[in-house]
Amino acid sequence: MSATAWAWLVLAFPLAGTVVIGLGWRVLPGRVPGWLASSMILGAFACAIAATIKMQDRAPGARHASSTLFDYAHSAGLNIGLSIYVDPLSLFMALVVSGVSFLIHVYSVSYMTSDKGFTRYFAYLNFFVFSMLLLVLAGNIIILIVGWAFVGAASYLLISFWYRRETATAAGIKAFVMNVIGDVALVIAAFLLWKNAGHHVSYTGIFVGSKTHFSHDQGTLIAACLLLTVGAFAKSAQLPLHTWLPDAMEGPTPVSALIHAATMVTAGVYLIARFHPLYEQAPTAANITAGLAAATLFFAATCALAVTDLKRIIAYSTMSQIGYMMVGVSTGSYDGGLFHLMTHAFFKALLFMGAGSVIGAMAGIQDIDRMGGFRKSMRFTYITFLVGALTLAGMVPFAGWFSKDEILGFDVHRGGFDLILAIVGFAGALLTAFYSFRMVFRVFHGDSVTEAQSLERGELFHGEHVNPMTGEHEDTDVGFPGAEHHIAERELPMKFAMGTLAVLSVVGGVVAIPGVTDWLHNFLDPTFADSKFVNAQPSTTADWTGLIVGAGIALAGITTALVCYIRRPGTTEQIIKRLPFLYRLFVNRWYFDELYDALFVRPVATFGRFGRYVVESAFVQGTLVGGTTRLVAVGTNIARTAQSGYLRGYAVLMLLGFGGLALYFLLQST
Amino acid sequence: MTVYLSIILFLPAAAGLLAMFVPRRLAGWTLVAGSVLTLAYAIVMLARFKTGAGMQFVTDDNWISELGIRYSLGVDGLNLFLIVLTALLWVPASIAAALREWDRPGLFAFFMGLGQTAVLGAFIAQDLALFVVFFDLMLVPFYFLVGMWGGEDRVYATTKLVIYTLVGSLLMLAAAVALGVMSTPAGGHISFSFAVLAQHPLSGGSQYWLFLLFAFAFLVKAPAFPLHGWMPDAYRQAPLPVILVFSAVVSKVGVYGFLRIVLPLLPQASVHFQELMLAVAVVSILYGSVLAFSQDEARLVLGYSSIAQLGFILLGIFSLDPKGGQGAVMQMVNHGLVVAPLFLIIGYLAIRAQGRESLDWMGGMAFRAPVLAAVFLIVALATLAMPGSSNFVGELYILFGTFQSKIVYGLVASAGVVLAAVYMIRFFQRSMHGSVGSHVESRDLALGPELAVIAPLVLIILALGVYPNFLLHRINAFAPTTQQAQVALRR
Amino acid sequence: MTALHLIAAVKAPVIDYKGISPLFAIAGGAVIVLMAALFRGRFVQRVLVPFLTVAALGAAIGLTIWNWHSGDSRPIVEGALAIDPLALGLSLLFYVAGLATVAFAWRSVALRESGTGEFFALMLGSIAGMTILAAAENLVTLFVGIELLSIPLYVLCASEVRKEASLESGLKYLVIGSVGSATLLYGLAFIYGATGSTGFAAISAAIGKGVDITDPLLLTGIALATAGLAFKASVAPFHAWTPDVYEGAPTPVTAFMAVATKTAAFAIILRLFDEALVTAQVQWAPALAALAVITIIVGNVGAIAQDSLKRMLAWSGVAQAGYMLAGVVVGTRLGLQATAFYLAVYLFMNMAAFGVVIARERVSEHGDRLKSLEGLGSASPLLAWPMTIAMLSLAGFPATAGFMGKFYLISATVDGNWAWLGVMIVVGSMLSLVYYLRVIAVMWMNPLKIELPGLPRRREVQPVAGWSPEADPKAQPEVVLVTLLMATATIFFGIVPSPLFHLAHDVGTSLRALFGT
Repeated sequence: MSATAWAWLVLAFPLAGTVVIGLGWRVLPGRVPGWLASSMILGAFACAIAATIKMQDRAPGARHASSTLFDYAHSAGLNIGLSIYVDPLSLFMALVVSGVSFLIHVYSVSYMTSDKGFTRYFAYLNFFVFSMLLLVLAGNIIILIVGWAFVGAASYLLISFWYRRETATAAGIKAFVMNVIGDVALVIAAFLLWKNAGHHVSYTGIFVGSKTHFSHDQGTLIAACLLLTVGAFAKSAQLPLHTWLPDAMEGPTPVSALIHAATMVTAGVYLIARFHPLYEQAPTAANITAGLAAATLFFAATCALAVTDLKRIIAYSTMSQIGYMMVGVSTGSYDGGLFHLMTHAFFKALLFMGAGSVIGAMAGIQDIDRMGGFRKSMRFTYITFLVGALTLAGMVPFAGWFSKDEILGFDVHRGGFDLILAIVGFAGALLTAFYSFRMVFRVFHGDSVTEAQSLERGELFHGEHVNPMTGEHEDTDVGFPGAEHHIAERELPMKFAMGTLAVLSVVGGVVAIPGVTDWLHNFLDPTFADSKFVNAQPSTTADWTGLIVGAGIALAGITTALVCYIRRPGTTEQIIKRLPFLYRLFVNRWYFDELYDALFVRPVATFGRFGRYVVESAFVQGTLVGGTTRLVAVGTNIARTAQSGYLRGYAVLMLLGFGGLALYFLLQST
Repeated sequence: MTVYLSIILFLPAAAGLLAMFVPRRLAGWTLVAGSVLTLAYAIVMLARFKTGAGMQFVTDDNWISELGIRYSLGVDGLNLFLIVLTALLWVPASIAAALREWDRPGLFAFFMGLGQTAVLGAFIAQDLALFVVFFDLMLVPFYFLVGMWGGEDRVYATTKLVIYTLVGSLLMLAAAVALGVMSTPAGGHISFSFAVLAQHPLSGGSQYWLFLLFAFAFLVKAPAFPLHGWMPDAYRQAPLPVILVFSAVVSKVGVYGFLRIVLPLLPQASVHFQELMLAVAVVSILYGSVLAFSQDEARLVLGYSSIAQLGFILLGIFSLDPKGGQGAVMQMVNHGLVVAPLFLIIGYLAIRAQGRESLDWMGGMAFRAPVLAAVFLIVALATLAMPGSSNFVGELYILFGTFQSKIVYGLVASAGVVLAAVYMIRFFQRSMHGSVGSHVESRDLALGPELAVIAPLVLIILALGVYPNFLLHRINAFAPTTQQAQVALRR
Repeated sequence: MTALHLIAAVKAPVIDYKGISPLFAIAGGAVIVLMAALFRGRFVQRVLVPFLTVAALGAAIGLTIWNWHSGDSRPIVEGALAIDPLALGLSLLFYVAGLATVAFAWRSVALRESGTGEFFALMLGSIAGMTILAAAENLVTLFVGIELLSIPLYVLCASEVRKEASLESGLKYLVIGSVGSATLLYGLAFIYGATGSTGFAAISAAIGKGVDITDPLLLTGIALATAGLAFKASVAPFHAWTPDVYEGAPTPVTAFMAVATKTAAFAIILRLFDEALVTAQVQWAPALAALAVITIIVGNVGAIAQDSLKRMLAWSGVAQAGYMLAGVVVGTRLGLQATAFYLAVYLFMNMAAFGVVIARERVSEHGDRLKSLEGLGSASPLLAWPMTIAMLSLAGFPATAGFMGKFYLISATVDGNWAWLGVMIVVGSMLSLVYYLRVIAVMWMNPLKIELPGLPRRREVQPVAGWSPEADPKAQPEVVLVTLLMATATIFFGIVPSPLFHLAHDVGTSLRALFGT
């Protein structure tokens, strides 16, 4: 079987899972849907491996293949095939996505057990994985957009999965609309490329065409690239299209792990990596993208310092980390960007799973102010979470250390504008190290809260079911989430998933140790062979200096956190007192939501009311309809009054008429 | 086996007529039988249709030689799917009608059948006068359907509807006659056949005022802003099966007229007024969308969303670009396919909300109605033209066409895509999600009739989403004359 | 001496007896009816006399068809009368209208009060006048026809002698009608004075040759004649009498006037303008066009506010006259055909409508008010359908003859470069929707309980206002029959108009002087 055939199978498995679970929702008993879904993803993962092996058999130059199932749309000069494109990049993504998804599926089987929507959940989840794989395997930009929108929809469904919560539905519609903005941007970009790059929609066609049809840094090309960036940023929650991601934490925690940490939000990174030939041809666009990404990574880190909702801290950290990846791929450090994408998928998923376990122990409460002292009672969760935090902080020798610092090292090496980016990156790294251990210390250290104590006594705390955001009471037998809570310590599947990810976070770096291994580089090289940065890699020594600096920063951050939260508790309060303005800025996420509300939401809503109550009633009904009717009414009244019923009246009328006639004819004469 | 369009055309009316004389109980089902037969025959036609072979299954007889009116029918890439759509959507409508207790069901069935015949006639006719006849005839059945079986203010609503639309139609009548008479070569015999008319284009000046008359008629029908004054009342008052076909099919006749009549016969005027029409389209898109998400009446959400959707179709047509045209025709079909199930869903929701159709009364319905929720979700996503749906492909072609010819309008219009997401998701959430409405009884679709009516439509939507080319490669929006005219006028 | 010469010079006029036979049938019928009515037997009054009337009309129809020929006119009676398809075709309409009126009048109060014989004799006399009018070939016969037509009508209007309104309408009609006749007479005299001849052919020959078309005398004559004929055809602003008279007169008479008189008026308008004065078309066309527009607007606007069906139909009649006038204005053969066609259609739709009004007003306490139709749709469809069809046809909906008529008229106007007149017709039809649709709404859409989905609603027949056993259509079969026939014709010619078109085409072959083919 050819690589493309395997790739089609990669898509087929999760799709089949969706259909079967979706149709069998009545008959499938207990946990069966969960295990069915998981096995489907495992199948996809296996097929992805098989495809990779097939692909590796080929000569490096020939490691790409595309296959078209049928004409998706073929008319009026616009020809779109339902096709996939398989090359190291797409395979890499497929492997990461299906691999991590499998673990998260397994985790969910336990985590969602008691939920009323268990079956629905796994139908959605499989559908998401299918969409994500379609996105990364798509053979042309239109199919890419299809996958792009599908993941958006899946994300919407899973965010508002507990749709009894007004907060969840609100978050859902917000995320959906923001994603649609991205889709539209991609469509316009697709048009610009189609029109100017020789009427192609397939990647290969576009890249070949762009070489010939576009001059270096041409305006249209920049526009196209920036539109791609808009799409990527909307999906990856980068400035200024990021506001949906924190709210997206309304979804079940495994969803946050899968969609809003490991896979979907990194689609933007994939997009830019995929279209790197265009970005390299339009450096302006690339720099703007990188600049915004850098801004995001810093901005998000600052928010993560102040937010107290455990999941939202991790969400902001995700934004920040994606910022690193974006900087990487848009400045030419493709290996670095994708490397970080992979490691991030590991440790971020791990962190979310740990958070989920803690939230389970807290009976749904997510506020870290309420947490503390789980160190003893949740040993497994503690250790794995610690591993995740260390990796996130970029501590030696965890995977994150290699991946993040490869990007930064590369940018330092390129110098110029990129040097600034690198400096921002290092600054961000400091904050990252700090807030990741802020989580660790405030959740697991300190004195045990009641929940922790009850857990030490060996019973899982069962509190009131409330919406963690609004605190309103929830009735679990009509609504979601499920009545029971689950922690890793008691659920083997959760243990398995978290354990695996912990191991990967530790050893993940091995694929690209500067000077030692460059497996990842060799693997991805065929895709980026045409890149003009391919030989601009920094020297091994430069890399290692970068790594050491990174490690130092990480240490600094961690120790600061240690000081603030363990050695001298209360330090942070003093800082807040010192810089209240800064704190308010961070807590309120730099007031982006308020800004958008004032700029877009309210005006449109007002216009809607205006249209409904003014335009409709006054203009359309009042003037157009009412005006005409009134005119006619006036006419009828005149006619009625003329129709007095008295002969004299009629005589006058006739005389007038006759007079008019006579006058006319006499004017005609002579 | 050759296909006789006259059969498709008159079968529904015949069934309706028959329904007047059968026992009350059977009246509805007679209509259903008629519509099903029509659909079957339409499918045969679809199967026999040869792509790209021009006008097919032509029937062409003298009707009124004194006026040069011919009874000429034909099917080509432009009206093929609109005919099939009409035949298809009358089935759920008539079933929905048959399942319900009506006053004077025989009469209801008769008017439904007559309505279908009139609509089919407007789509099939290949003679301008014949088109006008059917176009105006459509109003009669709908006048009675709304006026006799509608809601409280039905008389007001239906009178408004008919006067509004007939004002347009009558202007079109004048325009059509004028077009026929004026384009008759000196000494030649008058003819209204599209083919003949296309060969004798008029001078620019007379094209312009004829264009405006036609445009008015078609825009009222669509409806487009600001000529939609009849829409809210009609949508609110009409019985559900009636508004279903009205919104899904009848509204397409107007925009169809642009492609069949205005562009081929008045090419200069079409180019001359292109920007005007694009402006109308864009305004309709934005205005319709914004109003759609400030409504509480479920029907009005759809009503205003149709204004937006038809704005997109109009946009595609007056991009005067092949892509836009293809997209427009495709979108006519797609919109019909999604609006029909949406109205059925409104019906289902209303049954579960004590007959109220206001969104304020609904909410939280999804909980015990997963199937209903899933169906609604699929249709809703298709309606907002999510990539992967056939609607997306239609919109994609429309946008590409518009970008190609007048990119500014295209860019403004693409804001409508975002707004569409807002109003559809809002509609879905306010009825399905959130806490349970105070008067809502969350009950899933009965596997019997309720599901049977809607399921086929949903399956079709899904199938077309996978293989939209099925529509696209059979569609041929622009008559060759139009394309030549465009080319000539572009220079 | 000279006297002898004079006597010698006199010779009996040449008379084409075949051609004049329909007229004889009608006139003779009138006399016989009058005689027969002297016998006071119930049978005679109820059966024989009406039968004789019908027989006379039937005979006339037969003879007319026997005379039928296409092509140009055949002079009878020394060119004072001529029969051509125009005359014959329109006469047919008079006779059919007459037959319908007989059916309508059969049970009417008017008949009982005025006496069967008198009523029918007068009607036949009026029809005789119309026949002459339609065939008139010179100014004298024209005037004779007009008077012979009008005078019986004055009486018929007042034939419901115990009803004040009837008498009033008769008087009004008499006064105004005489003013009209006088004006007309003046006009004819002036035209004669200007052209020196009374024969239409001679007049048209004279104009432009001997007589300059800007000759004041001629133009004054035309103006006066126009005004005079405008009275008869109730063209605005000479329409004012119409609503009052129509309302007051016994409804069968109203129906007869609405259809037959208007047809006759248009017959002579066509003859005078499109034959005698056709050479002066440039002069009178704009004036007539202006009149047409005024008529269309006034008629339709006036009709909207009406609650009485008879008044409403009167106003709508005014409006319709406006449409047909447009057909005259263009002065082409196509225009002539269109007008003739519309006159026929006009007969069908109005007779259907009036039939229903008659059937209802006899039983409903609301008389001829709109309310009298309430709920008719569910109570007696047999009456509701004809009314519905008539209204749709008057409003010009397709699949009715009215649509074809409008279509024909519009194409005639456009073809004659009077496109804007065509648009005016359309505008008029828009206004007319308001009151035509109201009638339908009242019949079919009377308030019902709103039904909620789920809970089915039982069907209940709304009692029609003033419902009574005789309101049952079977109680007055002749009226219902005529109504149904007319409605059927309206639909039939709406779908298969060709036969009517052929007739119209033949009619179009008359009037040699006309331009266009």
